[in-house]
Amino acid sequence: MKKKTTGKSAAGVLVASALTAAMLAGCSGNNNNNAGASSSAAASPSASASASGSASASASPSAALPEPAKISIFTEYSTAWPPQADWGVWKWVKEETNITVEQKTSTTTVPSEALALAVSSGDMADVMSVFPGDVQKFGSQGAFLDLSKHMDKMPNVKAYLDSHPVIKMRVTQPDGKILNIINDGAGAGNQLVWFYREDIFDKNGLTPPKTWDELYETSKKLKQLYPDSYPLVFRHGLGTLSIFAPSFGILPELQKDKTTGKMTYGPLSPNYKTMIEYLNKFYKEGLFPPDWLSMDYKAWTQFMATNKSFISVQYIGQIETMNNQLTEGRLKFMAPPLGAGDKAYLPQGGYEDYGFSVASNTKNLDAALRYLDYIYSEKGRDIQSWGKEGETYTIVDGKRKLNDVYKESNDLRRVSGILSAGTYGWFDFEAPLSLIKESEREAYVESPKYQFPVTSTLPILSKEETDSISTQIDAIYKYYSTSISKFIMGETPLTEWDNFIKELDKYGLQKVLQTYQVALDRQTAAQ
Amino acid sequence: MMNGAVVGASTDGLSIPRKGDEAVKPTLIRNLKRDRTYFLLLAPVLLYYVLFKYVPMFGIIVSFKDYNLFAGVWKSDWVGLKYYKMFFQNPDAYDIIKNTFVLGIYKVVFGFPAPIILALLLNELRWKAYKRFVQTVSYLPHFLSAVVASGIIIMLLSPSTGWINHVIQSFGFEPVNFLQQASWFRTVYISSEIWQEIGWGSIIYLAALTSIDPQLYEAARMDGASRWKQTLHVTLPGIAPAIVILFILQIGKILEFGFDKVYLLSNAATYETSDIIATYVYRMGIIQGNFSYATAIDLFMGIIGLVFVYSANQVSRRLGETSLW
Repeated sequence: MKKKTTGKSAAGVLVASALTAAMLAGCSGNNNNNAGASSSAAASPSASASASGSASASASPSAALPEPAKISIFTEYSTAWPPQADWGVWKWVKEETNITVEQKTSTTTVPSEALALAVSSGDMADVMSVFPGDVQKFGSQGAFLDLSKHMDKMPNVKAYLDSHPVIKMRVTQPDGKILNIINDGAGAGNQLVWFYREDIFDKNGLTPPKTWDELYETSKKLKQLYPDSYPLVFRHGLGTLSIFAPSFGILPELQKDKTTGKMTYGPLSPNYKTMIEYLNKFYKEGLFPPDWLSMDYKAWTQFMATNKSFISVQYIGQIETMNNQLTEGRLKFMAPPLGAGDKAYLPQGGYEDYGFSVASNTKNLDAALRYLDYIYSEKGRDIQSWGKEGETYTIVDGKRKLNDVYKESNDLRRVSGILSAGTYGWFDFEAPLSLIKESEREAYVESPKYQFPVTSTLPILSKEETDSISTQIDAIYKYYSTSISKFIMGETPLTEWDNFIKELDKYGLQKVLQTYQVALDRQTAAQ
Repeated sequence: MMNGAVVGASTDGLSIPRKGDEAVKPTLIRNLKRDRTYFLLLAPVLLYYVLFKYVPMFGIIVSFKDYNLFAGVWKSDWVGLKYYKMFFQNPDAYDIIKNTFVLGIYKVVFGFPAPIILALLLNELRWKAYKRFVQTVSYLPHFLSAVVASGIIIMLLSPSTGWINHVIQSFGFEPVNFLQQASWFRTVYISSEIWQEIGWGSIIYLAALTSIDPQLYEAARMDGASRWKQTLHVTLPGIAPAIVILFILQIGKILEFGFDKVYLLSNAATYETSDIIATYVYRMGIIQGNFSYATAIDLFMGIIGLVFVYSANQVSRRLGETSLW
């Protein structure tokens, strides 16, 4: 792989691999079509087969692959799946597009900080994994290329955005520029869910609570049965409110109001106060740990693994992770309990924040665009999610089965780089889902039924707008989080609630709402 | 050897004037040439200061500009005092400045005497092995990174699983939620600072203690001074110059905090005492990306720090002979 070959023999190798690739693609497509495309997993390969059908026609001769090129891609650095140069994902990119990728990883644990350094030194990678916040910060300063001007070279990206109007909306700047593309498909793993200890509930004749009143009663009973325990546990501090709030029909932050269509702020809703009243009761009676604001993941696992907590909210994958660690007992998905309103929801999952930007000063513009076009194509989606038949998976009974080396979804990342940032644009979540045990699938089937219809993504502000409210945003956030934590811990009595709401205006809430309203109106008008 | 050569050369120049030398006055170049070895020795330190302390000062300019990261410092537009005004119009500004000062003053009031006391106590120890053991143990926390130290503190202080609260409960008291009460934040932070820095800080004082002439103690004993009186009238005056110099330096650092530890130990419930300039600058500068604004605030704080050092130095000059300059 790493051997440097001379031009001639390298071309030969490439032709050979291109041919194999085309043949493999054809094979897998045929197999699936024959099987009748029963599962939804089969839908994408058949789609990719038709896409690759036309591609392979031109791909078969040696002229198929474009000129060899090299680009650098900036990604996060994860210690759980440290990037490898020989990851399959990069090999497949090379095979499909003739682009050699050099992965540049973040040197700090916060990728945005490393990105800031790269931008300010002008030493940016050609393609960068970015969050919308990065685009807001650096995009207006001219760091990223306006991709809307290059859509003619990226037909697949254009098709991707056209078929994902919400994402298109999220990446279109107030002036019409497109500075980033946001990924899609792998967000299902970001879903936050409720779960409970089935065995403990069964043993004590308890049923999963359907409302917050029942949640309170059940927790109290559990506390009586296990005085040392904190029946409810959560580890995201105040951030956990964004998991609780949808069961009260609200979001704890700035959002578009469902009924009026105007921008509003979660705490202004009476349901929000109801939620805080519940949490205050829970806190007073020791139903969740008193150090709820300073808990980390390790502390959380301790509570869960030592039978100290029985109900929790966490990322969906944690159910299986914890079940693997529990020596006795079993965690099971729980429908969100209803706090207020007509239906209890889970926060919207399924969307992603990570995406790509191209450096405005890139020297490899064509290759960078070609890379994006590939990963957002149907074929690129299939290969970057599943790998290649015979190499990473086999077809068993018409369904794809990933090789045994992949035991859980993290192995996909660790071994081949699949599902790691920067390696995919449009993901087929069936791949990691196929690794999940049958017994753990319930949460993935059930959680989509409770999706909160209000999104927490906000309309994009212009630079002037961002600057005009940046101190207010910080001041409001600080005042809000201090006040709410004091309400929950009973340091401020709930009779002071109206004062809290009134004070928010002092910190400039109205100005923030108006600014976002302007942005929202502009976005609506553009559609 | 090289030093010897230089010294030799300079005495030569003084004692045996050679022909033509009378006309040459000690100019800068001449001095440089004469003391080249010293300058060479000084160079790395000088270079360090120029590179890492003076060159970055150029960046102060962005606090007066609408800094565009990508365009660079020169091409960004001038905005004058916009960001300074922005800070003072912020309703939080007063609280943040107050928190910074209060925490800084506490740090000096409680944190400054601690290593002096430790050094004096160690000085009284006659059992060498035990003294060394105590010294080593008290240095160690200095080498812990803020992340590790905060992790330890958070675990120890947890009201549900922490040891300290287990002890408190075993005496029959209610557990204290140390990290989630604004009123506890300063105590927790200052105590942890003392725990981390007391041993390290005592090194200089211990060094100063060794330079006290033993004859002074002998004389004091002859006059019938007790151990306490000896400490008061011999030891303390002996290390007073070191104390004063360190105190002035400390005053200059009154507004300087290891940002990471404050940040890691604080949470929403303690913002009203734990939000200081450094954490605010982090949120505005790094998180929100408003570099000009963050620079303006930091520069403002730097100037206050300078005023502090200058005043402390003036006071010290009036009162005694020891001063930085």
